[in-house]
Amino acid sequence: MDAYHVTVLSNIGMISLIALSAYLLLVCGEISFGQQAYFGIGAYISGIATAMWGWPLWSGMLAGGLIGASAAAFVGALTLRINGFYFSIATLAFAEMMRLLLYVFRYQVEIGGELVGPDGENGFHGIRWIFENDISTVEFMWIIYGVLASVVAGMMFMERSRLGRIFRMIGQDDMLARMQGVNVLLYKVLAALIAGFIAGVGGSLYAHSFTYIEPQFFNVMLGVHGLAYGLIGGLGVAFGPLVGVAIDIGFLEAIRWIQGYRMIAFGGLVAVMLIFWPRGIFDEKRWYSIRRCLRRMCGAETS
Amino acid sequence: MLELKGVTKRFGGVQAVNGLDISVAENEIFGLIGPNGSGKSTTVNLICGIYPVTAGEIVFNGKNLAGLPPHKRLRAGIARTFQNIRLFPNLTVWQNLLVARNSMEDVHSQSFLARWLGETRHTRGEIESILEFSDLADKADDLASNLAFGEQRRLELARAAAAKPRLLLLDEPAAGMNREEVQDLIHRVRGLRDSGITILLVEHVMQLVMNVTDRICVINFGQKIAQGTPDEIQNHSAVQEAYFGTTAGDPD
Ligand SMILES: Nc1ncnc2c1ncn2[C@@H]1O[C@H](COP(=O)(O)OP(=O)(O)OP(=O)(O)O)[C@@H](O)[C@H]1O
Ligand SMILES: [Mg+2]
Repeated sequence: MDAYHVTVLSNIGMISLIALSAYLLLVCGEISFGQQAYFGIGAYISGIATAMWGWPLWSGMLAGGLIGASAAAFVGALTLRINGFYFSIATLAFAEMMRLLLYVFRYQVEIGGELVGPDGENGFHGIRWIFENDISTVEFMWIIYGVLASVVAGMMFMERSRLGRIFRMIGQDDMLARMQGVNVLLYKVLAALIAGFIAGVGGSLYAHSFTYIEPQFFNVMLGVHGLAYGLIGGLGVAFGPLVGVAIDIGFLEAIRWIQGYRMIAFGGLVAVMLIFWPRGIFDEKRWYSIRRCLRRMCGAETS
Repeated sequence: MLELKGVTKRFGGVQAVNGLDISVAENEIFGLIGPNGSGKSTTVNLICGIYPVTAGEIVFNGKNLAGLPPHKRLRAGIARTFQNIRLFPNLTVWQNLLVARNSMEDVHSQSFLARWLGETRHTRGEIESILEFSDLADKADDLASNLAFGEQRRLELARAAAAKPRLLLLDEPAAGMNREEVQDLIHRVRGLRDSGITILLVEHVMQLVMNVTDRICVINFGQKIAQGTPDEIQNHSAVQEAYFGTTAGDPD
């Protein structure tokens, strides 16, 4: 595998995490335009933790995830009680506010005769944990996929659980969910919290993969892509958004002649999907049929 | 067990419910009828807390429900069905019933895993018997949206029953049903009552109302105009005028 492919694959893995985070909220019927904020928070917090405080990557990632989760739950608790529209606007507003704050956020310490830390608009250089620990980019790619696999497995397990069913109920008809005894606000905030955690973990990986981050990385386009991946890949199952990411970063990136028209091609794809398959390739119904088919085939083999 | 005292609901200028007094006794099937737009569905919505009352109070088992959010009212024992069928379309029949049970789950479930999955052996058994009772056993793994109309109606009733309510609010459960289906529904409603559930039945279909209710309250423009046994109501002049008069062309 050459460096180019490693970079593309690593990107797919990391961006998949923000896609999953947006997906979880979509499942609950909420549209967030601001998951990039928690991705950014995760990146900065974990970068500070490893590069400035000498923490290991794992603790940095956990801190990034937890602080991303708290911020997301805070924004959710304030706005989810009103209605979906306010939540969408509030997530966008919060994310933009975060990004603007990062432009003026300066916190540096001297390490080995060099200033390290977030330096406002100049970004945050020197998040070198993986080089200091002799981890190659290929190895780091495997770390990314290990984390992604755990998150996807966790989400699939959750989807089969009571919690996952409650998220789906809320997404399908939140009034009926309320009538069935579900404290809708509580579960929506919980979804926002889990989504914030996943985004924060993704951001932590991102910071360490690139060693340099700046506020502009975490602009609204990142969040919009995150949303679009779920809508392309499908909202019926947790690997839907991964399919969306693979289509965009893998497929569109691979077709060279599209390069100049990348955003046009992507925007067109989203528009076409929204018209014909509004809940993506693997939407609830299609995923249900696939599962049913698989079960029948397995049943036929064993009997 | 359920008491409405001077319940009033205004939507802007519309007086949907106006000083309504109703008292439903334990294990009774209480009918609530009235012409279109007379405030029946609004009354049901007020009882389960979709919106607050403008004035008056609703008392359930001696407890004033004011300020209690809908999900807590379900846990207190009030379940309902909707005038327009409302199911979770992309969940299977089994899951639709499971979610109804889950919100009422007892904390003494067996293992952590069973609790996490929300499917204790006890729950499974209960859902199986509800499916049996609802003639949906062979549909357990179908998506709710793939069911036929009659099956969706049965599932909605089953879902409400799965929450093990003490009071069940049925908003026009017979709408769109043919004569046999209504006959079938009559048996189901009686069956639910026999299992100890109190029922408030909102209905236009006389075949159902006159056959299953113990008492009927007739409202018009949000106000009570008559109350009594089915026989008394059928012969009541004000009712003839306000209700049967205006719905002479009723499909029933
Ligand atoms: N959410 C609402 N906002 C404004 N007006 C409403 C609302 N809900 C009901 N109404 C009005 O309140 C009145 C009573 O409506 P309601 O739905 O309770 O009647 P109903 O007796 O259930 O009629 P139907 O037999 O047609 O179901 C109607 O005039 C209706 O337009
Ligand atoms: Mg009505």
